[in-house]
Amino acid sequence: MALYAIQRLLLSVLIIAVAVCLLNIMLHLVPGDPAVMILGPRATPELIEKTRVEMGLDQPFLIQMATFFGNLLRGDMGVDVFTGRSVTTIVMEALPFTLALISASIAWAALIGIPLGAYSALRRNTWIDRITGILSVGTISIPSFVMALYGTLIFAVWLGWLPAIGAGEGFGDQVVHLILPAFAVGVSWVGYIARIVRAAMLEVMGENHVRMARAFGLREGRIARGYVLRIAVLPAVTLIGAGVAHLFSAAVFVEVIFARPGIGALIVSAVNERNYPIVLGAVLITTAIIVLATLISDLVIAWLDPRQREGL
Amino acid sequence: MTKKIHTITLGRRGFLQGAVATGLAAGTMPLGQAIWAAEGAMLNAFSYADIDKLDPGFYQNGYNVDVMNCIYHKLARYVPGREWEIENEAAEELEQVDDTHIRFRLKPGIMFSGGYGEMTAEDVKFSFERVLEHDSPVKGDWGPLKEVQLDPDDKYAGTIVLEKPFQPLWTITIPYGVGHIVSKKAVMEATGDGGDFGMKPPAFSGPYILDEWKPNQYVKLTRNPDYSGELKPGYDEIRIIPMDDEKVAERAYEAGDLDYTGISLSSLSNYKANPPADTTIKEFPSLYYVWVGMNIDNEVTGNEDLRKAIQWAINVPQIMDAAYFGEAKPSTGLIAPGLTGHREKALIPPEGDLDKAREYLEKAGGPPAQPITIDTLNATTWKTIAEVIQAQLGQIGIQVQVNVQDSGSFWTLGMESEGDRWKNMQLVVNRFSMMPDPFYATTWFTSDQVGIWNWERFSNPEFDKLNDEALSEADKDKRAAMYRKMQDLMEESGAYRFLTHEASPVMYRDSVEPALRPDARPLYVGFKPA
Repeated sequence: MALYAIQRLLLSVLIIAVAVCLLNIMLHLVPGDPAVMILGPRATPELIEKTRVEMGLDQPFLIQMATFFGNLLRGDMGVDVFTGRSVTTIVMEALPFTLALISASIAWAALIGIPLGAYSALRRNTWIDRITGILSVGTISIPSFVMALYGTLIFAVWLGWLPAIGAGEGFGDQVVHLILPAFAVGVSWVGYIARIVRAAMLEVMGENHVRMARAFGLREGRIARGYVLRIAVLPAVTLIGAGVAHLFSAAVFVEVIFARPGIGALIVSAVNERNYPIVLGAVLITTAIIVLATLISDLVIAWLDPRQREGL
Repeated sequence: MTKKIHTITLGRRGFLQGAVATGLAAGTMPLGQAIWAAEGAMLNAFSYADIDKLDPGFYQNGYNVDVMNCIYHKLARYVPGREWEIENEAAEELEQVDDTHIRFRLKPGIMFSGGYGEMTAEDVKFSFERVLEHDSPVKGDWGPLKEVQLDPDDKYAGTIVLEKPFQPLWTITIPYGVGHIVSKKAVMEATGDGGDFGMKPPAFSGPYILDEWKPNQYVKLTRNPDYSGELKPGYDEIRIIPMDDEKVAERAYEAGDLDYTGISLSSLSNYKANPPADTTIKEFPSLYYVWVGMNIDNEVTGNEDLRKAIQWAINVPQIMDAAYFGEAKPSTGLIAPGLTGHREKALIPPEGDLDKAREYLEKAGGPPAQPITIDTLNATTWKTIAEVIQAQLGQIGIQVQVNVQDSGSFWTLGMESEGDRWKNMQLVVNRFSMMPDPFYATTWFTSDQVGIWNWERFSNPEFDKLNDEALSEADKDKRAAMYRKMQDLMEESGAYRFLTHEASPVMYRDSVEPALRPDARPLYVGFKPA
């Protein structure tokens, strides 16, 4: 297990380095001069050139890359070109909001999706199963930004129960501000998780060890919880791990719609402003989180199912 | 209520007549009359962008100035209302002695926070001259500033000395960004050399202080405990909340999370028909100008007859209906109604004329063999404009391809420093903002701006000469005629089809009495509970 973990960790570092290199290349390929964006329209060409030199943009691309990675090793991701604030500070200010959003979204989706899928499998081909299937496909089909818009209209504008924008202050207020965005991001995951769990449950329920348990006279409830669901939940864990990237994408829209701070909103504005240090810093952290989530889900699966470790 | 000391029509002569009296009136008003601030009130307002610079000498955009207006003083400020007027703020007296000398005397007793003492003419000198000394990107706002001379006998008095007359001084420089006064002592302590202090104001002098800034969340302004001036804050706290999309702001307003917001033109008719509860909706003109530009140095659009065919084929009212839902009016040029130099009508009527367009097209040798391109920003309104033009030009046989670009890419499209992209640019839908002086509009279209912001690469010696001379022209009528002529020259080149100045509708709670510039820009310092 330790060897497996080390191998995966090294692979993760490599993936992050490659992702940052690719991003650097893409940023230099797209048109747009950060110095012009920083200084505004009235800056003289001389001042623009001076700023480009100060930012190191006059250096060859490989030198810029080497400088970036050199600084990164010292824990320095640079400074925001507009405000002069540390990129690490800015990213770390935004990150908790996105992590809270993603965690809340996936948590409530799992809390509803797993029991729903399991119940649907246990009541296969009944009207409950069919309704669950329709609901699952329905929620999967609705994009998160549509859910965000209608959620805001219904719960914030018409009913006035929940705030429409912002992230709130203090724990209680922040939780209240999280409800609508988390609902919007998580709702399609309810369907995904329910369908995956149902399919896996049905497969596992036909396996020998389950038939053996029945032969020993164990009750169906105990079989479902102790012998079927434990294995059937594995694909859902994989799905959630791999889906963190998708959740970050959904968070971009939702953060804009709810005017919430977060990594998504930060990257969108930084790309538009050609604020390269912020883009690089935010994407670096995001990539690291996505890779880490995948790593954790793989390790959890390896821990739950020893056959996975043997595959290495 | 907001104490309207005295208002004067914007302009040098009017100011000469009114400014001294203004200061005297302010100085003699009992303090009790000026105090109206409500206790415990809070205002939540929408902003199109977050702040990123609070040093007035190096300000970047109007969103930063909205906050600066609250936390610093200027010699004079814009008066809220429908007319472009200014009134004294920190100045007790402000007088144009001659074309190049402006004498001022500060109101005594304006204090800087943090123990930095009273505002004096030394602070004014420092604030204005540092813009030039530190080569600020906005040093052009100070035009031909030579120096600020101090009065040896009066620590509150001094004289702004210009190298040559500069008319925008009264309309842009003094009442806007670079006109804010900072504490010399505080800035020197903070920066060492008096340079850009960025987002960390070392001292405040306005009715509010920057209490907290949470990037991309809000700017929180609270009452300045050290403030002793006459402009008492209307609210205990003002929160300015940046949002990328005004539709989000509209929903937030309906949900009760905002007290003041701009409205998108696509929502305006709905709101007018069904306004939210306890809401006032007001429409203001905008200073933005939107146009279709054509690259004179491009192989295809370099043909003047082709450009004129395009000018005449574009039907502006149709664009207004499609892109602005009929809520914006066609413009006649760069300069908006109400400003010096506004043209009553354009040379080409808004509806254009397809027959004339076909005549020009025939002279041009027929439609281009390949589709021409029209570049536009990736915003719904702009894309719609480009698509309508695509359809309109199709009527005379010109095929058009729409290129949609993100803002970072779009705003460097015509810049020579960005490689050869400018050479391939043919048509572009463009939109610039401006301040209430025509200089701010025409200055981007001079010959020395070719390849920088003059993407049409329009170069006309007469235009350049007029642009220089109009900066110093004191006679308002003569100056207006010069700017009208400049817009004629632009239109005659065939490189421009002026579309609109858009519009700036806003809505706010009935419990709020807003203070807005004539273009609906919020002057938060004057907002108060109704």
